[in-house]
Amino acid sequence: MHPLDRAFESSARSLAKRTSRRSLLASLGRMLTGAALLPLLPIDRTARAQSAGAAQPDINDARSCDYWKYCAIDGFLCSCCGGSAHSCPPGTQPSPITWIGTCHNPNDDRHYIVSYNDCCGKVSCGSCFCNRNENEKPMYRLSRNNDVNWCMANTEGDYHCSVSVILGVAEK
Amino acid sequence: MRPFLSGVMALALLGSTCLVAAPTPAPLPAEQLTVEKLGHMSPHWVYVFDEALNNEIDMRVLAYDGDTYKRLGQIGAGFMAGVNLSPDGKTTVVATSYFSRGGHGTRTDVVEFNDNSTLAKTGEIILPAKHAQTFPMLYDVAYSSDARFLYASYLTPAASFGVLDPVRKTVLGEIDTAGCVLVIPSGPNHVSSICESGRLLTVTLDAKGHEASRATSEPFFDPDRDPIFVQAIPTGGGYAFLSFLGQVHEVDFSQGPPAFRPVWSLVSATEKGAWRPGSVQIGAIQRALGRLYVSMHQGGEGSHKDYGTEIWVFDLKTHQRVARWAFDAKNWGAITALQVSQDRAPLLFAATDHADLVILDAQSGKAKHVETQLGQNPWLLMSP
Repeated sequence: MHPLDRAFESSARSLAKRTSRRSLLASLGRMLTGAALLPLLPIDRTARAQSAGAAQPDINDARSCDYWKYCAIDGFLCSCCGGSAHSCPPGTQPSPITWIGTCHNPNDDRHYIVSYNDCCGKVSCGSCFCNRNENEKPMYRLSRNNDVNWCMANTEGDYHCSVSVILGVAEK
Repeated sequence: MRPFLSGVMALALLGSTCLVAAPTPAPLPAEQLTVEKLGHMSPHWVYVFDEALNNEIDMRVLAYDGDTYKRLGQIGAGFMAGVNLSPDGKTTVVATSYFSRGGHGTRTDVVEFNDNSTLAKTGEIILPAKHAQTFPMLYDVAYSSDARFLYASYLTPAASFGVLDPVRKTVLGEIDTAGCVLVIPSGPNHVSSICESGRLLTVTLDAKGHEASRATSEPFFDPDRDPIFVQAIPTGGGYAFLSFLGQVHEVDFSQGPPAFRPVWSLVSATEKGAWRPGSVQIGAIQRALGRLYVSMHQGGEGSHKDYGTEIWVFDLKTHQRVARWAFDAKNWGAITALQVSQDRAPLLFAATDHADLVILDAQSGKAKHVETQLGQNPWLLMSP
């Protein structure tokens, strides 16, 4: 792989893996401020104006690691693998057991309980790897852990990708 | 003939004479195809576990020499494997799963034994299809101190562990752990597991590898406010468990039952919550130096798996930070795993998310070599 490609891929993976939504907003703000000398398209100006805290388009993009429902996901996004944020790709089987997260939806300011099911029976998808860990706990608190293969109890136990399915609004 | 042209012709003639006179080199000899042997194991060898995220049914362990900077060979590790070294360092054990048709088909769980002098597989034990498939760490499969027993962590998601005989290559039994997870060995016949309540469950085995007794400790950490990483760091007589916020919980097993030492902190009051330990293999201890090396990053809640941008070094007796080494994460990548050799001229190994392996002098922090692109996702390092 070309060093530039490698560097870009690595930085993109690092960003996806290491960057929380909030810090991404801050980083975007810094990047746009740094790029102020470049001619900005109107959409860019809008993005900069919104970077102070309003919703960013990518928090509603199911193919983005910053999608609000993915706050504790760990794996390949099924939305990049032929499925969606809440459906498995064709020919795979959803895991009946799962881990649970609570994610804040900035669009309606509600917290939602989501289940992070794995889709199983094919080798790893390989696209859109995403790891976020808001309120994620180690393996001894299994229902809050995203490290294990949740395809473990499936007849076909290979891991392919992960989805985030809304179970309901979290009661305060 | 002009003098210039005559000179050129003379040179050409001389040259052709030389060409004719030059002896024809002897042909290369026939070669014999051989298989390399590794020779004597070095304390500077490191075993690099590659998670191979893009093809997870094909994980592997890469053996690498930290002195010659050469890759020595490879051990296959299957799907979501646990790996470890035997106490004498001569065997790499792999607990893993295979599917009969590659990515699908009948699942077979197995523990495989690999000779570290040849990197050849020497035997296996078929497990019930319960192997705990999780990220790589040293407590998925582990030996007793005398290598008489081997323990394999099970998760279905009910938690238990298998007791295996690594000599006769048999399963001796399965022990239910009441929801507590992983196999943390101590002495010849104790196995501890971490419980959701913040306790340690310790099972004592009899001579046949069956449960003789069990004891549950008092809670030693708060799983809600400040969970510990399950990636405990061996101290010699026990383990150091680091918490998300940087507290150190040392547990001493040298007298049998776990004894919990006073908790101490990696971070000052002003650093707490801002600087945190993180990565996959978060730290390592050089026992003779009494040094703890930790992969640290700046981040908030939910950043516990963020890769490290600095290495902090602590004295295990005084609990003081003795060094804070910047890490060139921009060029090398951020730290995914740390390991240190246990010899008198110790090397510190840092794997990165660029899939590079950085080799540092463990006493000065000076980088000696950067091996680029060692696998895809080097997430665990083992040192004999």
